[in-house]
Amino acid sequence: MSIKFFGQFLIDQGEVDASHVREALGLMDAENATISALAIKQGFMSHKDVTRVNAEQRSRDRAFGDLAVEMGLLQPGQLVEVLQRQRSQRLPIGQALVRLGYLQTDRLGVLLDAYKVDQSEFEVSQCELPDGLASHRLGHCVLDLLPRFLMRVAGIQAKTGAIRGFDGAPGFAEVRVSVSLRGARGLEVALASDLEFAEALATAASGLEPADLDPEMIADGVGEFLNVLGGNAASAMAKEGHATELGPPDYEAELCDGWIVDLAVGVGRAALVLSTF
Amino acid sequence: MGRKFNVLLVDDSRTVLAQLERILSDIEDLAIVGMANNGAAAIRMTNESMPDLVLMDIVMPGLDGLSALRTIKSMHPEIQVAMVSSVSGNATKAEEAFRLGACQVLGKPFDAEVIEALIESARASVCAEESRGGKGAAS
Repeated sequence: MSIKFFGQFLIDQGEVDASHVREALGLMDAENATISALAIKQGFMSHKDVTRVNAEQRSRDRAFGDLAVEMGLLQPGQLVEVLQRQRSQRLPIGQALVRLGYLQTDRLGVLLDAYKVDQSEFEVSQCELPDGLASHRLGHCVLDLLPRFLMRVAGIQAKTGAIRGFDGAPGFAEVRVSVSLRGARGLEVALASDLEFAEALATAASGLEPADLDPEMIADGVGEFLNVLGGNAASAMAKEGHATELGPPDYEAELCDGWIVDLAVGVGRAALVLSTF
Repeated sequence: MGRKFNVLLVDDSRTVLAQLERILSDIEDLAIVGMANNGAAAIRMTNESMPDLVLMDIVMPGLDGLSALRTIKSMHPEIQVAMVSSVSGNATKAEEAFRLGACQVLGKPFDAEVIEALIESARASVCAEESRGGKGAAS
């Protein structure tokens, strides 16, 4: 089980198949206005402005609205207004499937309720974080989801403990792996652990016996866990309207600043290091 | 279908490849024809082995899974490609995968039953296609 989008949930439930979802996406593409089209319609941007932003996007992997604001072609308040308008006018996939005749309206209501229940396991709550991280929603997501995914992936009980400013890598940190989550506010998430914790994670994730794991495979198991944690955190952020891109694991992670989060884990020793960028 | 169902696995994590290999080894009449760890290798190995199904991650170093999906489907529309990724809950990524022709988009972590159901469904599609005279019908 993981965070999933509604179309996937409907396929999993056997309500529709991939070709129905694809057709619904086509209808949504035809009907849903882009940020640039809405900004032009609102009189916030000209066609020439849009062309400039599109040209910039070819060399920079950033959302149109964020880039337009950065280039001074759209005011932050105007972007909020355009995003709100886009959201309110958006044809969602469930409605698109109803329009195409693949779902009944009353059935859609039942399925939306079931989807909420299915995904309630991944609802993210606010936790108490230090200054500099307190308003970082992605940081909340990562810390809130971590114990759930450690249990889900490896059956390891975990609880996040004290958070303090980085004061050097923990002495037990034999394995260090990180992933980066890029968005309006980026976050580097590193997991530092002893060998016992890393082996437990790799064994559970791969299904291999501990004797079959080499050091590279052990680090890979930690990297894959971070991939699962980071990917699902990015998906949770996307659901809240914040585009977030996950990068592949970095196995030569340098721990040098940010915050250390002590983890009370059922096996070995581990800590999370979070740095913003 | 009278022959083995051929699957190519693509993930930059050896852990995931080992996990998938273990799950697929329990399925009858199935052969893993290769394992790739990035999108470029996935395209090359698809061309070489012409699998029935490609199981592929999205986030990988170098050429990512969505780019590889686009290329594979443009060259071999008959080959089924399922994405298995931790970012599949992101509607933008999942929608893009479906638009590009993915037959399924699964999340990580995954259970063996989900992968087995995917194989069953993909195998049924291939059988149906072959009975209509499509890919592999003559082999």
